[in-house]
Amino acid sequence: MTKLRRTTSLQRTQQRMAVLFILPALAIYGLFVLYPLLLSLWGSFFTWKGLRMQEFAGLANFSRLFVFPSGARLYGALWHNVAWFFGIMLLQNGLGLLFAWLLFLRGRGAAFFQSVFFFPAVLSPVIVGALWRLLLAPGGIVEWALNGLGLHQGSLTVLGNSHTALGTLIAVDAWNWMGLPVLIYTAGLRQISPQVFEAAKLDGAGNARMLFSVALPLLMPALGTLTTLSFINTFNQFDIVYVMQGVQGNPSYATDTLVTYFYRLAFGAEGAVGITDIGLALALGTMLFLVLSIGTLLMLRFFDKRTVEL
Amino acid sequence: MTTLAIPQKLARLPGWIVLLVWTAAVLLPLYVLVVSCFKTTAEIYDNRLGLPRSWALDNFVRAWTRADLGHNFINSLIVTGGAVALTIVVSAMAAYPLSRYRLGWNGIMLGLFLSGIMLPIRLASVELFTLMRGLGLLDSLTGLILVYSAIRIPFAVFIFANFMRVLPSELDEAARMDGAGETRILFQIVLPMVKPAVSIVAIFTAIAVWNDFFFPLIFIFDDRYKTVPLAISVFVGQFRTDWGLVFASLAISMAPILIMYCLLARQIREGVGAGGGMK
Repeated sequence: MTKLRRTTSLQRTQQRMAVLFILPALAIYGLFVLYPLLLSLWGSFFTWKGLRMQEFAGLANFSRLFVFPSGARLYGALWHNVAWFFGIMLLQNGLGLLFAWLLFLRGRGAAFFQSVFFFPAVLSPVIVGALWRLLLAPGGIVEWALNGLGLHQGSLTVLGNSHTALGTLIAVDAWNWMGLPVLIYTAGLRQISPQVFEAAKLDGAGNARMLFSVALPLLMPALGTLTTLSFINTFNQFDIVYVMQGVQGNPSYATDTLVTYFYRLAFGAEGAVGITDIGLALALGTMLFLVLSIGTLLMLRFFDKRTVEL
Repeated sequence: MTTLAIPQKLARLPGWIVLLVWTAAVLLPLYVLVVSCFKTTAEIYDNRLGLPRSWALDNFVRAWTRADLGHNFINSLIVTGGAVALTIVVSAMAAYPLSRYRLGWNGIMLGLFLSGIMLPIRLASVELFTLMRGLGLLDSLTGLILVYSAIRIPFAVFIFANFMRVLPSELDEAARMDGAGETRILFQIVLPMVKPAVSIVAIFTAIAVWNDFFFPLIFIFDDRYKTVPLAISVFVGQFRTDWGLVFASLAISMAPILIMYCLLARQIREGVGAGGGMK
């Protein structure tokens, strides 16, 4: 009886303390993340005049998003983000798997290579973008090196050329984040029981066969994490574009992304500079929010089903 | 034995070469960055790969004073320090009852916090801007600290809850018997036991906040409150032809992270495994 009373009084204290302990975090998070996010979704159904909400407009902003002149920008940016995603999957996560596999086979020295490969990932994308903008500039060191090696002649203009600019930005982004797949894949490879590899070796599997037929199916959780992270990061791409190509995604919108387009609509650098189109911006934000959340959930489910257990 | 060992070593050669090529791809640009800081723009053009002819600090001095990077540097230190401290304190406080009390509603609350790990807050920046303006937090370092803490709280609560959950329950029970209050149990017993979580949260919050560019871009207009990444984005255009100055300002702005990385490379590597998601 006394014991029971003591636990209930403890529980009552805990309930009260829990509220007090959780309140500061919940208040900050709720006020600066949840509240503006919900308000943005709600606001996308209204017409706007500057920063002022006018009247309920149903899906008018959304239909405006897909037709001229917004449609061209939207589809262009969407295509760049999709290309960016596949580029990162191939360049960053694909090469990263190869590097992780080589480090796994070698065993010794892995920590050194992991640390070097990961280093650019702790730098600001702004710094990485600015650094590569200097290195790739006409007269810069990459042009000098390529000319010296006889691989290229004359002035290097990859960032000013609408056919090569997007690919160059994707490569810089992959350089920035390469260490991430290397770390996640090596952690995954170390979790696989060595007997699995020994059995495969006895069956006469070579290194390449072992990577693709034995290791890769067992790496599904790692691949799932990386695919989901790459998806979220790709569709939030902004910093590198802004620093290297400007907020218009130069040359002539060839490197424009959904978030740079969103930024121009929301903060007034689209069309006549200084004029914002908040309704359109919020509709784009809501679309992106849906694409990101549905895409992420689908990916998590997809990889969850394909996880192989031993 | 030896006849077998040599071909095996040879077979490993291509793998070695691949790893060394990427090592060069990472280190060469950084080498160019560091040596260019000490060169004049003319020397950057005619002595590209070599060490600087004289190790003059002129570029650093100009970046720090004339381009006023020192000022931005202090702003970034204040914002990063403030956000790290606030995130750690409020997240540890929230994670403690959520992971160690039986409340009935802690599952839902934890879910609410964790959902924030994936929420794309940039897309709410218009409403966030209006809110900040209403609260008088535009053009202020406090505003940035609050926004960054809000964004990092979900990840921090996740890490703290994971570490606190596995502590033995005798720990706080014994302290309670001795008459310690809940606040004391959290800050003097539980928090010291989850030091690895504190360092993971501190490191990843510091990296994310120091590097961020988006929120200063939309919330800060006054030069007095600009942070390093925002200043850098301006420099690159403004001092386009003064390469030595831009290289030096890049080096200054990455110095704190570089030093931290050299000291904590192992914790950072393991932290990525523990928590993922740092962007």
